[in-house]
Amino acid sequence: MPFEELRERLLKAGIAPRHMRRYLAELNDHLDDLTQAQRDSGYDAADAVIRARAWLGDDDDLAAAMLARPALYSLPARAPWLVFGLFPLAALITLCAVPIALLAVLASGHAGESSSWFQDLASRLVFLSNWALTPLIAALFAILASRQRLPARWPLMAGLVLAALGFHMQASFPGPHQHSGSLGISLSFPGGQGGIGWPQWLAVTVLTIAPALLYRAWRGRPDLFAR
Amino acid sequence: MATNPSFMSGVPELLVLRLLQDREMYGYEIVAAVAAATGQVVAPKEGVIYPLLHDLEKEGLLRAQRRPAGGRTRVYYTLTSKGVRRLFDLSDDWTRMTRAIQQVLKGPSHAV
Repeated sequence: MPFEELRERLLKAGIAPRHMRRYLAELNDHLDDLTQAQRDSGYDAADAVIRARAWLGDDDDLAAAMLARPALYSLPARAPWLVFGLFPLAALITLCAVPIALLAVLASGHAGESSSWFQDLASRLVFLSNWALTPLIAALFAILASRQRLPARWPLMAGLVLAALGFHMQASFPGPHQHSGSLGISLSFPGGQGGIGWPQWLAVTVLTIAPALLYRAWRGRPDLFAR
Repeated sequence: MATNPSFMSGVPELLVLRLLQDREMYGYEIVAAVAAATGQVVAPKEGVIYPLLHDLEKEGLLRAQRRPAGGRTRVYYTLTSKGVRRLFDLSDDWTRMTRAIQQVLKGPSHAV
């Protein structure tokens, strides 16, 4: 790959991956065109490549041209605190809203029936949210960070936000046979009344921050808390 | 995109918009057209044209379309109506500026 070094440089500097990909694709095509033009001018293959690359610009020129344009930077690079600090909260709200909406629809369609299946379903949904979806969202934030070559502390922050709030979700749903009541999800604390136990807390926390730790290991970066 | 960058602020944008007013082009064609139209006076490192094109597209001044050409997929750039308006604005600014500078270069006796 002729532009592998440039690729890493742009990503680490914060250029959005889609702009970087298109830039490199266009540079590859351009280099091919230039090389062909040099060949047509009578240069042999090796000289044509060298001359074409000189016409195209070196990595410093090509990187500087891209880095000088703020509009081409990605949101995670421009505002990582927003993406990895607040977006997990938004994801959690969504995570809460989806089971509530689903159960509300089911409750309205089965009024007057027995509620045991309903409570069971509610419990399963909360279990799924806490044990599977929360770590999955944390993994998505780790993938996002890896695409942008961001320091591992950002997905770790997202994982901690998710771990601190997500797994505490406790459901309290009235059954369809009840004509009044509330439908909602509340937060509780590990070890507290109605909350989960500390062993579960620890297990879900490990699951949720694991993607960020794996990302850190994969990157081999020592600057987890640097900067 | 020039031998003297301090004099070139806004010039690449103006040239690109003007050349794309005539027809759609992909990057290599645009660079070649700039070089031909300016008699090689504006001779950029060719790869640096693309960040400008991406920026202009993001501003809505250009539209980019992938299309197969010569066995490859090229990204063709077209001027949008917003790009046309920007071209007129930049052209007016450039004309006023060069006229004013010409007056200065002619000397005090010719100045308005």
